[in-house]
Amino acid sequence: MLIFGIVLAIVLILVVWFIGAYNSLVSRKKRVENAWSQIDVQLKRRHDLIPNLVNAVKGYMKFEKETLEAVINARAKAVAGGSIDDRIKAEGELSGALSRLLAVFERYPELKSNQQVSQLMEELTSTENRITYARQFYNDTTMKYNTSIEIFPTNIVARIFGFKAFPFFEAAATEKETPKVDLSF
Amino acid sequence: MNYFALQKKNLRKTYFLILIFMLMMAILGIIIDGLFSSFPVGTVVLIIIASIQVLVGTQSGASLVLNSVGAKPVNEKEFEEKQLRNIVEEISIASGLTVVPKVYVMEDENINAFATGFKQKDSAICVTRGLLKNLNREETEGVIAHEVSHILNKDTLLMTTISAILGTMVLVQLFAWRALRFMTWSGSRRSRKKGKGDSTAYIIFALLIIALAATLFSFIGRITIFAVSRTREYLADAKAVELTRNPKGLSGALRKIAKTQKLKQKVKGATIATAHLFISDPLKRNINNKEGFFADLFSTHPPIHKRIATLENIPPEIVLRELQEL
Repeated sequence: MLIFGIVLAIVLILVVWFIGAYNSLVSRKKRVENAWSQIDVQLKRRHDLIPNLVNAVKGYMKFEKETLEAVINARAKAVAGGSIDDRIKAEGELSGALSRLLAVFERYPELKSNQQVSQLMEELTSTENRITYARQFYNDTTMKYNTSIEIFPTNIVARIFGFKAFPFFEAAATEKETPKVDLSF
Repeated sequence: MNYFALQKKNLRKTYFLILIFMLMMAILGIIIDGLFSSFPVGTVVLIIIASIQVLVGTQSGASLVLNSVGAKPVNEKEFEEKQLRNIVEEISIASGLTVVPKVYVMEDENINAFATGFKQKDSAICVTRGLLKNLNREETEGVIAHEVSHILNKDTLLMTTISAILGTMVLVQLFAWRALRFMTWSGSRRSRKKGKGDSTAYIIFALLIIALAATLFSFIGRITIFAVSRTREYLADAKAVELTRNPKGLSGALRKIAKTQKLKQKVKGATIATAHLFISDPLKRNINNKEGFFADLFSTHPPIHKRIATLENIPPEIVLRELQEL
């Protein structure tokens, strides 16, 4: 009778633990998925912002046609979509093109004093920050999730239900070379 | 740093503080009843007052604090305020907050900021006009990340509750001392005329005990808050660096705060009950820059040079010397 009681208690504890582990894995996975969708939201914001920005600075930046065209083309590619790899590559190119535009912008004092342009530039800076932070948050939550499916003993639950690791977001090569631009106006 | 664990800890501390507060009010009620043999009227009345205070504090703590300093919601047509709003949204994304805190500006020339709110979804961040004028984008990001960390760790919950509770304690204390002064003044006149000295003397004695008890309780309350408040600041600094991945922004902001601190007046509308909410002491009490036993007991904020030194990973003496030379 006593042995039966002990076995029953152990089984109960195991079942409770099992449910707890499964639920925490699911909620972590949801957090990662949510973080991923945040990145998408911010990328969309960037796509919407670019046409206005380009129109506003076109008149001033006559000698920077190449920079502007690179931005326009990169945006077109990013909006067109395609496979995830294609999109990541296109967004990487767009980031590179935009950071060159921000660097060029520093050379035009009359642009800085234009209120509309400086507002758009603030929006662009903010959007770039949002994308960076969204990726950072995605990577942080992914790290927590990936760790939890690998460590013992939750890895047993993860294997039974086929929880898979998410990939980390790595900065594209073009972004790594980005010159540091101080935009504190 | 696991902020989910911190959140739970702060929630527990909040309940504990509310319990202590109710107990103190009940004890005060029992003392009153014992002195005037009116049990249980005084006890019940004070417990009801305490409950109302807790309810009001939890429902409207944030708006009370915001109103008391004259904070106004950001005007997005102004460039600086729009930028501030953008920064708050960016840091919210970095921290994974689901609801972006409301953003307020208060008209004050000091560089200061605070976060408040009982629930995460109606939390608010308020900065001074002086902060908008004096800090660049990177530094503002540091300060905002510090404030968002307070919201994330549920420090604001704890701090807003404390503000409400301490406010009541200070009120009871003031009331008791005023009543005492009134009684001694009118009592001495009446006793000369009618010779009822015995009963007035007893009431004065009773009021003195109540006033002393209330003072003691609000004193204990303050010391508790100071201790809680100081550790919170270091934690929020650390979390801010984790969010922005950039210690320079916050340390730069703290340097500017330290440099302007000597020149400016105290923040308008800030009181003993709300001082601990701010990123640096709004009342400019000297104690906050000192070290040692008394400073450890009574300061709401850790010495600013120590915070800068921790962020920049250099010895605190160097920062202190640098700040004193100005």
